[in-house]
Amino acid sequence: MSEARSTVFVVDDDEAVCRALTRLICSAGYCVESFESAHEFLETCPHLEGCACLVLDIGLPDINGLELQNELIALNRSLPIIFITGRGDIAMTVKAMKAGATDFLAKPVRDSELLSAIANALRVSSQALSSRIELDCIHRRMARLTPREREVLALLVEGRLNKQVASELGVAEKTIKVHRARVMEKMEAHSLIDLVRVTDKVCISPSPGQSS
Amino acid sequence: MTTLSAVAVSALVVLLIFIKIRRMQTSEPTIGLPIDGEWSRRRHNNYAFAVSDKAAGMERAGDALQDQTNIRRSAGFRPPKLSARHFVHTHLAILPRGRFRRTSLENELQPSHVKSRTEPDDDSWTAARQSRQIERFGATLDLLPLTILVANSQEKTLFANTAAEKLFGYSREELSGVPVGKLVPALHLNVSAADSACSNMALGGREPDGHRELVARRRDGTEFPAEVTTNPVSWENEACTLTIVIDRTERYELLRNRQQLAHLTRVSTLGELTGSLAHELNQPLTAILSNAQAAQRFLATEPVNLAEVREILHDLVEDNHRASEVIRKIRALVKKGELEAMPLSIASVIRDVTLLVRSDAIVRGIRMCVAVTPDLPPVHGDKVQLQQVVLNLLLNAFDALESCAALNREVAIEVTPEGGDRIRVAVRDGGTGLAGNTLDKLFSPFFTSKRDGLGLGLSISRSIVEMHGGWIWAQNNEDRGATFYFTLPTGATPERSFQRGRP
Repeated sequence: MSEARSTVFVVDDDEAVCRALTRLICSAGYCVESFESAHEFLETCPHLEGCACLVLDIGLPDINGLELQNELIALNRSLPIIFITGRGDIAMTVKAMKAGATDFLAKPVRDSELLSAIANALRVSSQALSSRIELDCIHRRMARLTPREREVLALLVEGRLNKQVASELGVAEKTIKVHRARVMEKMEAHSLIDLVRVTDKVCISPSPGQSS
Repeated sequence: MTTLSAVAVSALVVLLIFIKIRRMQTSEPTIGLPIDGEWSRRRHNNYAFAVSDKAAGMERAGDALQDQTNIRRSAGFRPPKLSARHFVHTHLAILPRGRFRRTSLENELQPSHVKSRTEPDDDSWTAARQSRQIERFGATLDLLPLTILVANSQEKTLFANTAAEKLFGYSREELSGVPVGKLVPALHLNVSAADSACSNMALGGREPDGHRELVARRRDGTEFPAEVTTNPVSWENEACTLTIVIDRTERYELLRNRQQLAHLTRVSTLGELTGSLAHELNQPLTAILSNAQAAQRFLATEPVNLAEVREILHDLVEDNHRASEVIRKIRALVKKGELEAMPLSIASVIRDVTLLVRSDAIVRGIRMCVAVTPDLPPVHGDKVQLQQVVLNLLLNAFDALESCAALNREVAIEVTPEGGDRIRVAVRDGGTGLAGNTLDKLFSPFFTSKRDGLGLGLSISRSIVEMHGGWIWAQNNEDRGATFYFTLPTGATPERSFQRGRP
């Protein structure tokens, strides 16, 4: 994702601050969408596409920033969050960072600080996005495997030889060779190492029991 | 005020008893009879007559007594009202002029007096009698704990009682002949007006002068606030003014202490709000910084987006105003100032306070709802003090919501008209409500239900509201929580008590 297409969301209940932040971020060439309440943002959130980050004020009147962060995680729509607050304390900062915030800035915030935090957050977002796309792709490929092929895949990525797989599954080695060729093809892997790398990303090494 | 008045009243009662006893000793019920100038001339004629014809003179004297009683009846003499001040004015003023006392004196001394009538020097006799009477009157005034000065039409002091010596630090001799203006600089006696008023007063129909609050000066040059009451008297046949000076230092100190206490609680309340206030300042500062830096960036690009820069500059001015407004409001609440009564919109008072506590409410997760009936008439009062009341009630409401579920954390402020000439402000919370036994103690000083409360907020709020001519009370809501109400009179008539700073 290119930066030009990335979106920065700003949520601050203070109209003047919201407008000023929006301008500042706009001046750096980002596309900005601003919201004056957490609810307003949550309504838009399910339609989020692409690379984005959120500049979030902690002290919001409806739902506070930390609650919104948790809500987004619960909705599985998490995106990199840069918190800005006029009166942050250590406890608040720790809580926010543990929940995955990329930055925690104090108001009034300098442009260089904010913009580099945004660049950083967007990088995180873009990485997350590409890895999500990759994962989706891998999942899609794996979905094409038959249960028997999954079993074969699981044993192969553990480093078993065809012979060992055959004896484990109680079939002929020749049959395993056919399965292995189909797995390589469906997973679009060019070598065994390639297959291991791809499978590792989805952390799936289904045990024979699960695959049945 | 009350202590001094009590002392004054008791002193007057003593004086009256003294007079009563004197009256009982004489055969005639004489005290308090108003005598006008006409009668006094007639009496003087009687004396003149007595010189030429003793027997007839005696008869005439008897007639005169009879006349005198008639005058009293025909003048529709009313017994003085039972107000302390009235007693001061009626009796103190009349006594020196009281020819009637002289009559009773005459009766008392009659056996020897008849002989004395035969003496040729009537003038010297009258003078001696007068001076004796003045002496007696002076002695009586000396017994009073009030500072009393008698001054003539040239504003020269003719008499000062013991209390005056003590209060002003001069000896009696030094006070004699001193211009009254030296003691009470702003006091201007209007003796002629006082004299014309005198006869009215003598008929018992005149209400006492409104007292004035002036600054008096002691011998050592120190000044003190004083309540000064002037009244016309006749002193040695001269129209004079009797001035009562009451030292009000203590009362002013009390008033000042109350104001200082109110100020202190205000400052300490603001101290609790520091975080919130800092945030209120930080917001516009954030906007200013971001706007300014955005403008720098816009100006660095080609072509310059002038429209955007113009908007930014506009916002910068706005944000700056906003920041200075916050500072101005804080300063107004913190400053120590004299009470300033002016017509106020209660809505603006509430708006200013809600602005200051807004972010405190956000941090505590509390929603504030303000509902003000539109087009309410203004109230007359001191803005800072009324803000203090609203601030106090709001923060109390916030505290009451401390242990509440997030859903119920709401404070509603309602302003409604009440009974045509008042408005009512209600601050409603959805908290735990007030325990039954605390309801009547709520507004007492040092009563608090908070762990670290001073117990002064509500008591000060009450004195402020009452000073504005209103009432404050609290009651539990039917469903949940409590509501604090206060009323204020509307209209531009300042409360007299407000002007006088009644505690």
